[in-house]
Amino acid sequence: MSTLGPTQREFLAALFARAEPRDPGLAVYRRTVLANLGGALAGAFPVVRRLVGDAFFSEAARRHALDIPSTSGDLGEYGAEFARFLAGYSPAGGLEYLPGVARLEWALHESHRAAPAQRLDFGALARVPDNRRTAIRLLLHPAVRLVRSRHPVLAIWQANQSDRDGTPDRAAGADHVLVHRPDLAAGAQPIDEREWAFLAALRRGGALEEAAAAFPDPEAIGPALARMAAMGVFCGFEEPAPA
Amino acid sequence: MAGIGLRAPHYEELLRRAPALDFVEVHSENFFAAGGAAPSWLESFRAAYSLSLHGVGLSLGSADPLDERHLARLHALVRRFEPMLVSEHLCWSSYGRRHANDLLPLPYTEESLAHVCARVERVQDHLGRSILVENVSSYLQLPGSAIPEWEFVAEVARRSGCGVLLDVNNIWVSAQNHAFDPYRYLDGIEAGSVGEIHLAGHEAQPDGLLVDTHGSVVAEPVWALYEAAVARFGPRPALVEWDTDIPALDVLLAQARRADLIAARVARQAA
Repeated sequence: MSTLGPTQREFLAALFARAEPRDPGLAVYRRTVLANLGGALAGAFPVVRRLVGDAFFSEAARRHALDIPSTSGDLGEYGAEFARFLAGYSPAGGLEYLPGVARLEWALHESHRAAPAQRLDFGALARVPDNRRTAIRLLLHPAVRLVRSRHPVLAIWQANQSDRDGTPDRAAGADHVLVHRPDLAAGAQPIDEREWAFLAALRRGGALEEAAAAFPDPEAIGPALARMAAMGVFCGFEEPAPA
Repeated sequence: MAGIGLRAPHYEELLRRAPALDFVEVHSENFFAAGGAAPSWLESFRAAYSLSLHGVGLSLGSADPLDERHLARLHALVRRFEPMLVSEHLCWSSYGRRHANDLLPLPYTEESLAHVCARVERVQDHLGRSILVENVSSYLQLPGSAIPEWEFVAEVARRSGCGVLLDVNNIWVSAQNHAFDPYRYLDGIEAGSVGEIHLAGHEAQPDGLLVDTHGSVVAEPVWALYEAAVARFGPRPALVEWDTDIPALDVLLAQARRADLIAARVARQAA
């Protein structure tokens, strides 16, 4: 009879139980596990941690670890649910911008780890016949992430880098953010609402023509495309199969 | 000189100073990212040193199916960086797809033994090379454990053809926690199976339990056990690990130097 699975199921249930374990050995495991998971969150969310302070962060991380299972043997993948967890975490209810800052930090974390890719080959793009160019699909670099919030999350994030005192340049207003990793380090920069909508349409798999509808003024598309291409936002394109 | 476990606070300094070391060892999972800074660091380390990939998350002993995605990512690392050693832990970390991301103890039963051996064989087949499996520290013994740990470790190596990464600090910690003789443990391991030896620091809790914290210098009784291990198994790649409250690089290098001095003394005495 197989007992290994049931033994492991019971062990994990006790490890992540609401109640602190009575067994001193199990208590060591619980402490280590919560420290490992909390350490991974602290590494991925340094700005959230600075905003709420170490003690508040540790308690939030502990409750997150007990509520939301880690699903990978690679701790670098732990934390995808933290922003959503914070949105429902009542002790943080007064900090409306906090989940948005957490989404931005997770986007940076993912961008930092994403696969490398070639930049868009303009020569190949130029060889696409004019009458087919609007139907192509521009492909976003794997490290590109798009974040938007009703709150000035980018200004808050920037103000809480290690060389800043925490005072954001803007205290209100929405932010549209492009997260990208042009070389080895991921960064975040503001883009305008039209650029954000354009990139979001491309990310959904929309053709160039469809994405371009984000720009009310067709004259604005070319310069915006050139600017984003120069930043390495695109890694290639696909032509639709001939009808 | 012996090797060190390489962690992020020392990346830059190690490459700048390039101290003499037999090898460096990293946690495989720390380099699972598809791109960005991590793979680039590992390329630099590999260019300067022999490399050991030490896995902490494969969950070899889990009753779940083997995580094929995890294994594929490990395989990609092995292919790209051609390490001299690849190791995993003789433990489990996950069940029902929930990960504890920690090294949890197996019940030492015939069922566990058969399960772990099949998994090690599967991993070795996939990677196309043999691996080392490491004994872990433990803080409790699971009901039904009937096989002494050293017999379990030796039998895994015998049946699956893998090597043993013998962590003498873990032997010492578990020996104190579960009242067995750590020297009896060494006697139970076949010399030819030992491919690497780990050294690290532990701490004693107020209740007397020893905890494998990797947060201090190697304890004196562990150095003595290391000396006995080298005398029994011969010189082996030795590695000093430090994972919490990571000190200056020089502190780690001094610990590695001490491991070398002990191995040299054993060699002189044997001559």
